[in-house]
Amino acid sequence: MTHRPILASMCFALLALAGSAQAQQHDPATPPAVTSKIALRGEANGIAVREIRIVRKNDVLAVQADLANIGRSDRAVFARFKWLDSVGNQVGDGESWKQIAVQGLGQHTLKSVAPSGAATDFRLEMNVETR
Amino acid sequence: MQILSRPAFLLALAASTLTLAGCQNLSSPVVRFDRQVNYGDAKAVELVTNEFGSSDLQMIAEKMTGSLLETGIFQGRPTVTISTVKNKTSEYIDTTNVMSSIQTSLVKSGKVRFVRSMNEMQQGVDELQRQNQSGLYKQGTTAKVGQMTAARYSMEGELTSIVKQSAATKDVYYKFTLKLFDVQEGTIEWQDEKEIRKTSKR
Repeated sequence: MTHRPILASMCFALLALAGSAQAQQHDPATPPAVTSKIALRGEANGIAVREIRIVRKNDVLAVQADLANIGRSDRAVFARFKWLDSVGNQVGDGESWKQIAVQGLGQHTLKSVAPSGAATDFRLEMNVETR
Repeated sequence: MQILSRPAFLLALAASTLTLAGCQNLSSPVVRFDRQVNYGDAKAVELVTNEFGSSDLQMIAEKMTGSLLETGIFQGRPTVTISTVKNKTSEYIDTTNVMSSIQTSLVKSGKVRFVRSMNEMQQGVDELQRQNQSGLYKQGTTAKVGQMTAARYSMEGELTSIVKQSAATKDVYYKFTLKLFDVQEGTIEWQDEKEIRKTSKR
């Protein structure tokens, strides 16, 4: 009986935690296989990454990611690709951040090419601002 | 149903406040006008004014480097030199900075070798003359004259802009074009451009 207040307080904290975790989730339209390649800061705010294509061209990786605005409001997406080598170390100094305006119900394809042949993997770092 | 005791309620309130504090709005990687001085992210999106800025330079360099690397024109590590970079905008822009960033990325990729550009040649000639004509150096340790490797390709670029302004809005459109010429044949072997639109409202 004496544990009940403690249990209640823990549930309260867990509920708050769950709300916080929910805020950092990917858009449901982003496939699970794609989410593993995305480092999303904060909420997706209606921006889904529908597909990511990667191909090795002349010894360097080239990637394209299709962003889709699920909502009717315009969104400002800040994004960049982070290139990684075979052991997970970052290749190069890192790309500059790009601001991409994705109009309501619109789409945008992000493109990038690895800085050298050492890159074998990547992450798409992004956060989405409501306008 | 038992009502929470005061300490338990305070504990729950503190825990939830702390957790919710972590859910506040995140900042974006931008540089905006601020009276405080701080070291910031050199790769952040610069939105101070709509004149040519660091983000434009970085975006141009990344696009051109990526385009050059994926074409495969640098098979066999050919030699390249940087020629002119024309600034056809109304702004003062150090366009050599753009070419310098492109050159740095390409050299780091290991796919190409750069030779001295016209602007860098005099220093090279001076050093050769110092080694061979001053009489200060041991025979056999000096760099020989006439052994420089010539460039197979020459890189030429230009930056243009179109500015439109109304009472409330200023729109600037930049276009950077880069060409890779085969020096011997005079043909364009690769060409690409990067377009940038920046709009500001008063």
